[in-house]
Amino acid sequence: MKQIVRSQGFGAIIGVVVVLVVFSLIDFSGWWTAQTITNVTQFTAILSFVAMGQALVIMTKEIDLSVGSVYGLAGVAFITLEPSFGVPGSLVIALVMAAFVGLLQALTVVKGHLPSMIVTLGGLFAVRGIIYVWTGGSVHNFSADARIHPVTRLFGGELFGVEAAIFWLVVVAAVLGIVLRATPFGNRLLATGGNRESAESRGVRTDRVKIWAFVLCSLLAGFAGILTLCNQPQTHVTLGENMELEAISAAVIGGCLLTGGRGSIIGAVLGALIVVSFRYELIALGAPSSWYITFVGVVLIVAVIFNQKLARFLGHSV
Amino acid sequence: MENSNPLIQVKNLDLHFGAFHALKNVSVDFHAGEMIGLVGDNGAGKTTLIRVLCGIYAPTSGEVFFDGNKVQKFHPKLAIDQGIETIQQSVGLCDNLSIARNFYLGREPVKRVLGIPFLDMGKMREKSTRVIRQFGLRANVSADDEVERLSGGERQSVKIGRAVEFKNRVVIMDEPTNHLSVREREHVNELAVQLKEQGLLVIYITHDIFQVHKLADRIVIMENGEKVADATTDSMTAEELEEVIRQGGRVVEKREAV
Amino acid sequence: MANSSAKPLIRRHAEIGIFLIGAVLIVIFASTSDGRWANLYNIGTILQVTATLGLMSLGVAVVIGTGEIDISVGSTFGMGALAYLWLAAQVDPAIAAVAAVLVGAAIGLFNGLLVTRTGTPSLIITLGTLMIFRGIAIALTEGFSFSIPYAARKGWTYFVLGGGDFLGFNTALYWLTTLTVILLAALKATPFGNRLLAVGGSAESAHSRGVRVDRIKLSAFVLCGTLAGFAGTLEAGKLGFADGSMGRLMELQAIASCVLGGCLLAGGRISLPGALMGAFVLSSIQSYLVVTGVRPQWFILVLGLIVVLAAYGDRSLRQWALRK
Repeated sequence: MKQIVRSQGFGAIIGVVVVLVVFSLIDFSGWWTAQTITNVTQFTAILSFVAMGQALVIMTKEIDLSVGSVYGLAGVAFITLEPSFGVPGSLVIALVMAAFVGLLQALTVVKGHLPSMIVTLGGLFAVRGIIYVWTGGSVHNFSADARIHPVTRLFGGELFGVEAAIFWLVVVAAVLGIVLRATPFGNRLLATGGNRESAESRGVRTDRVKIWAFVLCSLLAGFAGILTLCNQPQTHVTLGENMELEAISAAVIGGCLLTGGRGSIIGAVLGALIVVSFRYELIALGAPSSWYITFVGVVLIVAVIFNQKLARFLGHSV
Repeated sequence: MENSNPLIQVKNLDLHFGAFHALKNVSVDFHAGEMIGLVGDNGAGKTTLIRVLCGIYAPTSGEVFFDGNKVQKFHPKLAIDQGIETIQQSVGLCDNLSIARNFYLGREPVKRVLGIPFLDMGKMREKSTRVIRQFGLRANVSADDEVERLSGGERQSVKIGRAVEFKNRVVIMDEPTNHLSVREREHVNELAVQLKEQGLLVIYITHDIFQVHKLADRIVIMENGEKVADATTDSMTAEELEEVIRQGGRVVEKREAV
Repeated sequence: MANSSAKPLIRRHAEIGIFLIGAVLIVIFASTSDGRWANLYNIGTILQVTATLGLMSLGVAVVIGTGEIDISVGSTFGMGALAYLWLAAQVDPAIAAVAAVLVGAAIGLFNGLLVTRTGTPSLIITLGTLMIFRGIAIALTEGFSFSIPYAARKGWTYFVLGGGDFLGFNTALYWLTTLTVILLAALKATPFGNRLLAVGGSAESAHSRGVRVDRIKLSAFVLCGTLAGFAGTLEAGKLGFADGSMGRLMELQAIASCVLGGCLLAGGRISLPGALMGAFVLSSIQSYLVVTGVRPQWFILVLGLIVVLAAYGDRSLRQWALRK
């Protein structure tokens, strides 16, 4: 029990329980329907990928503001390139593009000694600009063939009535969780964020660790974009706008401290669940869709303060 | 000296940082015109005690009296206004500001134009230039240069110069001679003695019992957040005091028990 | 040698970089656009955009000076514009403007209190308030826009508040000039300015000298919110309408202006003229893309690249200047 309380995701666990209880109380019949649960889990899965990547970057004491644009770029590339390269080809190219953006940003941060906030802010603009210029604002669709392609079904279909994205999330979250807690790389990643000088003095190549974190983050964001489009194969230039805010919120709600070195994968997933639940419940309650942004903002601030208080209470220096 | 009331009186001070008990029931008196050597290992609580005195930390419980009055609120501004000046290891100067601006930071002299307080840059420059010359900074350093350009010794000199210039009643020196050359160190120590002779209370914090024994009137030794020894330098030799530190205060406990 | 005299100059004046970039860009833009860019009307438009963006950048620069950041200014800007238009339709525009500025100040106060009282990174707090007030702005307008028809915008208050031109330039530009001078004086020649920069340089050292760090940070946030609210008022006064998305992405442009202008995100070193020049360069690029018929979509791409390049260039220049 104590271990659970001390784990980074504890705040998020409390949050999830509170959210589920409150939503059940105020809108039991609307909340616990198959439709709502399917939608919430589907979008939670997608946001979780972006949030997990963000969490990895935040753990190294950096931040990646470009994930929303990268998510959009991967999605747009996947759909737009499909006629020329086929579904698997365009999927690979889209992921490579996402990873490349991450690599480019990481190298600029690490080699240029620039704050990641500025570099990824630039990335946010530049990649969004590429989407605008590339698509010219037009909407792209999958052909009927591509929609039933096995690869598309693999990422966007259903299995035993459950969205494929959920299975992917379980697999990837488990792998990342193990990598973070039980491999030298995970140890080094946390050390890099916790105390860079000390990590470096022990021979950890912190630059390399950061580059990996950024690349993984962009790759996960790109993968989330592909999952979204396999499910609903239609692009839009605003695909993934504000997603960076949701992802950072989810990671922070999940216990990532911006001071680096602390965070959890499962927390990021739970954070994503909270964010998405809010979106759904607000819509279900008939609130104007714009209130959703307001509530994410409120949840973000409350969560960050709560997590900080929790961390201080547990005796961490924050 | 013993007859007069203490300038600073600390009574049963306790300070907790979360679960960490940083100061345990510390009581000590400091008199004006005295030079106190505050000695102890790293983490013994000497810097913490000093940070309470100069208002950076508020104690969890206990009382501090300054000049007979109980201190109600702990804030650096209030401590400085009372005339307590601290010279700390790494804190005190902002790299991005010029020497003149750093010199008066927090109590800048102003000229009022239409009731708006403007910095009196002329006065700031003039005074700080005089002090940096007096304290032997390089000739090509001007009061308008950013602190970023100064060496460790030069920074320390600026801080001490600032303490001298503001005619304080208490000067606390926290490891003032770390990272200094031999000549600079002697210069600083001479200065500390001068301050005392002018009737100020000087609290000199260091690891180096032998260095401070030569200078101080009284030595206070801290260990694990507790005061373990408080003796005039006449009554105990540096070697005896060093033995107290080595024993972690146990020698003194025995003596008190007898 | 030219190098040896240039180094101390650059070391002290971080904004030199952006002024060089600005000068080069002006020459390029003027010579490659057949006079479509470099004419009085277009320059006037650029300066009008610069004026509102510049006011926000000044506020953000002050916050950056304390080592914090405020990315909520885009929403504050939008709230200011909406508050002004909503009230100006009912009461005197002067009162409406005051109210709009107060709305901005209140948002700044909210940010500042959350940051200083809870010790939470300002990036996260203002990210949260960015979303909160954007949502409120959209909800207030319910998808429509607030507007005051051109015919109703008569009278000197409308004229003064960005609604008219004086000597060929929008009145917003005069507000910007006045406020820049005041802020510059406050920053360089008052105890407040000295303490503000000290807090950004080393909060611990400033605290040990008796500077009330939280109070300084709080006032920086309030100032930033106030300026953003006022910028929104002027923009609304110029356009006569505003919707819920007013000021979106402006926060990023304002931060970009500051970085371009040589403000160090770590705090303690800012340049108000640099931030203004940054805003001017961004508006110029936007205008250049428009007049040369490049699709406006390119702007956002160019903006992103410029932010990174500027940050890199600024850092390289500074390092070169610090080398002995």
